[in-house]
Amino acid sequence: MKFKVWRSARNGKDGRYEAYEVDPRPGMSVLDALFSIRDEHDDSLSFRYSCRGAVCGSCAMTINREPRLACRTQVSQLAKAKSLNLRLFGPLEKQIGWDRTAEVLIEPLPNMPVLKDLVVDMTRFFEFYNKIRPWMDLPDVKGLSKMTPEEVSKIEKYTNCILCAACFGACPVNNRNPDYLGPAALAWSLRFVDDSRTTDKKERLSLVAGKNGAPECEFIYNCVKVCPKAVAPAGAIRTLKDHLKT
Amino acid sequence: MYEFDVLVVGGGLAGLRAALEAQKTCDVALMSKVHPLRSHSGAAQGGINAALGETDSWEAHAFDTVKGSDYLADQDAVDTLCMEAPKRILEMDKIGTLFSRTPEGNIAQRPFGGAGYPRTCYAADRTGHNLLHSLYQQCVASNLRVFEEWFVLRLVISEGRIAGVVGYHIPTGEIETFSANAVVIATGGYGRIYSRSTNAHVNTGDGAALALRAGAPLMDMEFVQFHPTTLLGSNILISEAARGEGGQLVNAAGERFMARYAKEAMELAPRDIVARAIQTEINEGKAIDGDHVDLVLTHLGEERIKSRLPGIREISIDFAGVDPVKEPVPVQPGQHYSMGGLAVDKNCSTSISGLLSAGESACVSVHGANRLGGNSLLETLVFGKLAGANAATMVEAKRARPDALVNAQREEERRVESIKSGRGKESVPAIRAKLKETMTESFQIFREAGAMESGLTKLHSLRDRFKNAGFHDAGREFNQAVIGYLELENMLLTAEAVALGAIARGESRGSHFRTDFPKRNDERFLKHTLATLVGGTLELSYRPVKMGRFPVKERTY
Repeated sequence: MKFKVWRSARNGKDGRYEAYEVDPRPGMSVLDALFSIRDEHDDSLSFRYSCRGAVCGSCAMTINREPRLACRTQVSQLAKAKSLNLRLFGPLEKQIGWDRTAEVLIEPLPNMPVLKDLVVDMTRFFEFYNKIRPWMDLPDVKGLSKMTPEEVSKIEKYTNCILCAACFGACPVNNRNPDYLGPAALAWSLRFVDDSRTTDKKERLSLVAGKNGAPECEFIYNCVKVCPKAVAPAGAIRTLKDHLKT
Repeated sequence: MYEFDVLVVGGGLAGLRAALEAQKTCDVALMSKVHPLRSHSGAAQGGINAALGETDSWEAHAFDTVKGSDYLADQDAVDTLCMEAPKRILEMDKIGTLFSRTPEGNIAQRPFGGAGYPRTCYAADRTGHNLLHSLYQQCVASNLRVFEEWFVLRLVISEGRIAGVVGYHIPTGEIETFSANAVVIATGGYGRIYSRSTNAHVNTGDGAALALRAGAPLMDMEFVQFHPTTLLGSNILISEAARGEGGQLVNAAGERFMARYAKEAMELAPRDIVARAIQTEINEGKAIDGDHVDLVLTHLGEERIKSRLPGIREISIDFAGVDPVKEPVPVQPGQHYSMGGLAVDKNCSTSISGLLSAGESACVSVHGANRLGGNSLLETLVFGKLAGANAATMVEAKRARPDALVNAQREEERRVESIKSGRGKESVPAIRAKLKETMTESFQIFREAGAMESGLTKLHSLRDRFKNAGFHDAGREFNQAVIGYLELENMLLTAEAVALGAIARGESRGSHFRTDFPKRNDERFLKHTLATLVGGTLELSYRPVKMGRFPVKERTY
């Protein structure tokens, strides 16, 4: 099976696509395929990885023009995979002469500067996460807090976010507005805003109210389609917008 | 050169907890070869133990832990673990960790293997993920200085105490020294020396190897936990929570075979016992397709699976194409956890002044010969905090003269340059694959002198081949071939410590089962194994177990 992989130095300098032949094994993930390319063809290929079980969020990249976790993407399923029907923009629709039926195309996530090959600079992504005040302190509660199972399940979905940035890379608004907080940070914001124990809901909402916050979302739903953990950030953003109206 | 009072190496739960504690009074930095959220703590699923129930007690938790350890745990450390547990849960609750709840609104607890009470708190089956994110969020709140994607090349020891570390910045290839009065190693385990492991790719025993080369001993390295239920194919963890919620194990004949191995506890016997049972079924030809058994969850019903085990369901669907709501999950045992690690006292100090360790990289020892599920997350928080507090008391210690650090940096720069420019013919991936194969063949669930001796011979030949190992990438930025080389160097040394300890321990205890010595032998082996690197050779010695309230007994479930 042929893999067409983006190779470049910082900021895309000397960028090019390299083709590698990979012998697919049963159960092989795209991450496994990248390891085999590195081990058998070119040990200078760089990509991030850690858990290989879709929980650490290291290996988000663009696979056949769709942001995905490399570890969660089975090579054998790629040909059969239904299109996510993403709204395309810049890097996701660039013409490069790719034979979709014969080659697996591997590129870095859009909307972040490339550091090398498939590794992107996530500094701004985490800066935006930090901006929503992503922490909680409940010093006034005596003993253990109380929450009903319903109160937990209301926000549980958002705590499942692994900050892989697949949504950030897939978002056309992030592409247009580099200061937009983006789907992941906003989903995390709602996780705190809607926590039944939260005492500073108003202050938290004010952090996502501006033109780079929730109001900037256009409900394109690319984030929902690419999220590997079913967080559905656009739904969180809709709720944030509702909260902001009241 | 960077200077800090306390430097923490490793950004998982133990490292973050240590850094947050030390930061209360001193200038702290944390360095990790990956972003902290990419640490393997986040993959922990089932839960964290604490005696919160009205009829439960920390003493009961301690008893289960000591019995589970096959009496090899140090009981003073176990007391600390179990006494502190409720306080650490309270603390995580206070910073917002989204624990699953009972209908009354209290933190829910589920039964876990080897425990006499349902005392495992959980956040669905994503407990590690939730704890890791909560603690990381506190680091964001407190502006903890984090050096991401720094790989530690060496611990620098000067005049018998820690002086700091030399680090390699993966994004740039820059080499830099970090001076510190105390260094806390929290680098997790070494699971990747085995071919079938639940561990992340990054769990390569870096802390263990750094400590050995610095002269600090490792303890009880032969005790390797094999988790009974890892997903066939990828060996991703299928949590004990699946059995805690009522999951059953069946063989090819459809028999619930645990009845023959632990008729009381059944599937909720401790991990060593269940793992051996499954391996026995496999060895006796009773497994499905010769290599796995089925974990049946279908009888739990869709709702319970979706609410209590959503992560397990997702993993089964994504990585094995199996929906546990409708069909059984194919599982087999796989390496999961390192009971051994840097030998530390109950304040997390190693034998080198100023060098500490906590979490899976350390051996306190609270797990002895076999760790109970739900105790590792607990250990990271309890001993992470203690390590941070202890490290913070060392700020007054005499600073090492900077020349030791400067010299170490120069040596490491030359070493990395020679590794990169060397054109050794031996391939790093080939040696790594052979290492994994050797450990899996010779130091598995069932062990025996002959196989282990031949395994050790293979390890020695791999060590020799590694001297001529090379790679092609000569670049500076994100040169992961350099990292792969350095990790393999660490894995080879760590593997040898596992092998030597296993060969010398002529008894069966907890996870270490010798077919040639199938019984526990307290007279000769109720003691901890220490492995120390002396003049380039690993040497073994022993240390007594700290006994306490629970006398040694036969261990049955």
